[in-house]
Amino acid sequence: VGVPRGSAPVTALLSLAVTSEQIEHLHRRFKQLSQDQLTIRKENFDSIPDLEFNPIRGKIVHAFFDKRNLRQESDGLADEINFEDFLTIMSYFRPIEMNMDEEQLDRFRKEKLKFLFHMYDSDHDGKITLQEYRNVVEELLSGNPHLEKESARSIADGAMMEAASICVGQMGPDQVYEGITFEDFLKMWQGIDIETKMHVRFLNVDTIAHCY
Amino acid sequence: MEVMWAVGQLGAVWLAVVLGLVMLPSALGISLGISEAYMWVLVKTLEWATIRLQKGAKKLQPQMPRTPTANGIIERDETPMEKEITLLHRADFEFSHIFYFCRKGFEAIVEDEVTQRFSSEELLSWNLLTRTNVNFHYISLRLTVVWVIGVIVRYCFLLPLRFTLAAIGITSMIVGTTAVGQLPNGSVKNYLSEVVHLTCSRILVRALSGTIHYHNKENRPQKGGICVANHTSPIDAIILTNDGCYAMVGQVHGGLMGIIQRATVKACPHVWFERSEIKDRHLVTKRLREHVADKSKLPILIFPEGTCINNTSVMMFKKGSFEIGGTIYPVAIKYDPQFGDAFWNSSKYNIVSYLLRIMTSWAIVCNVWYLPPMVRKEDEDAVQFANRVRSAIARQGGLTELPWDGGLKRAKVKDTFKEEQQKNYSKMLVRNGSVG
Repeated sequence: VGVPRGSAPVTALLSLAVTSEQIEHLHRRFKQLSQDQLTIRKENFDSIPDLEFNPIRGKIVHAFFDKRNLRQESDGLADEINFEDFLTIMSYFRPIEMNMDEEQLDRFRKEKLKFLFHMYDSDHDGKITLQEYRNVVEELLSGNPHLEKESARSIADGAMMEAASICVGQMGPDQVYEGITFEDFLKMWQGIDIETKMHVRFLNVDTIAHCY
Repeated sequence: MEVMWAVGQLGAVWLAVVLGLVMLPSALGISLGISEAYMWVLVKTLEWATIRLQKGAKKLQPQMPRTPTANGIIERDETPMEKEITLLHRADFEFSHIFYFCRKGFEAIVEDEVTQRFSSEELLSWNLLTRTNVNFHYISLRLTVVWVIGVIVRYCFLLPLRFTLAAIGITSMIVGTTAVGQLPNGSVKNYLSEVVHLTCSRILVRALSGTIHYHNKENRPQKGGICVANHTSPIDAIILTNDGCYAMVGQVHGGLMGIIQRATVKACPHVWFERSEIKDRHLVTKRLREHVADKSKLPILIFPEGTCINNTSVMMFKKGSFEIGGTIYPVAIKYDPQFGDAFWNSSKYNIVSYLLRIMTSWAIVCNVWYLPPMVRKEDEDAVQFANRVRSAIARQGGLTELPWDGGLKRAKVKDTFKEEQQKNYSKMLVRNGSVG
């Protein structure tokens, strides 16, 4: 089958209840997307019709090539990713397992939120500024020509103010809220259950066939 | 000298057997029960293999919770967009919307419902063919031995037999239809042409070891009508002509196909278009209309999807066939993938390797349902009518309906589709009072 064995993320995944069957499924999917090459480029994601409908398609595809998500020390964007990298990104969408303890759950949650944070923070400076947030809202609303830019901006501004009030409390008239840092981001999501919203769960395939 | 005489004798015996056991029954439309016996042995063997595989699988992975899968490998949350986003709603526009689209995006990347239709259906249990052995690992010596015997039987016995039959079938078709074509037009010619077409079809079906079950034969397409069916492979046409005569519609090809086309059109009024004519939609529609208007002509056979789909779903029907008028006779064809995969993945295999794969499978087993005839209603346009027919076919064959165009095999999504979806989302946002 050609799945690279013995590499770190793969073995990590293997030990965490992602079965070898599921890895093989993903490997087949990878080969389909890459058209039997060893790496995927951004253009390969163009062949998925369902994805075309997604307003934040650009950001999702971008996330696959973002070196921060690929756990690499460097910053910036990769040109192409191999199957290991593909699995690394997929691991952000692992569902929770029953046997996780407090510490693991906390780490799990942080990982998912970090992934989301990177999606917003497009200039990689560790802060989500008002402009970056506006960009995301505009992208989400990009399909509707009737919605004016003003509405998109006011939505973004309102949300930023809410974020500021949670993170910094009452601001003085001359204080400027620079942007949402990752700690603030975590604070915003305290108490909200995101783990169950941000996962993709595999079905287990039964080998019982139809016997005639 | 002696050797040559012996070989000649053997050849003669072989031909006599083939003639007696295959051609004569085909011409008379009766069955000697050989295929049934073969199928019975095959089914028993596959059952045994499945049980052994299950036993083996249990040993390898004892505690995996098992759930049967319908049509995919990931669990989809079917909550509609509005419900899911309002669930996370705390105040106005929130980061929460990102979650929804993020997840949908990832689901699409792991598995999208369109691209998977352009590759063969995955089997739940191995059917002892190497080509389907993707998930299944070595289980036992006995299974491997059976598999080896299977390979020998398929390649050394079945393949030559099937090849001979196919050659005979095609040759008889060409010779027969040319001969009938010499006769003057009349009822005798029509009758003989039907006999020739049916006989050759039957021989070709036997060449594929086809077992076909026809249901609701009372709804069989009548003269002057249009027969539409879902498309999985080039042999769909043979499956249908095994039970009745149709006027084929298609493009003129070169080579062997071209010879067959030129011969058959002498005996029976098939509609073959030149490459240049096909581009002119009005010309095509006009010719087909003329054909349908003549009530003495055989029903036309059309595959409105336009391309081969993998038989788990029915994709968009092109409206051209539904603008011609006349009565539509829908037919649903469902193949059983356990015995052999009939789907032609034209981007992966060319026609010759496809036919080779078909001839080295166990068998082609399928069900054909004739559905009651449909006519376009007063207030329906061609697209709605096409969708209505498609639903009927999908429901009968147990296939899922997809609104996507089969042309997506090679092209990208149209922008109009995308804008539709994005409009829905922004409308919903504004409605929820998140503006201002």
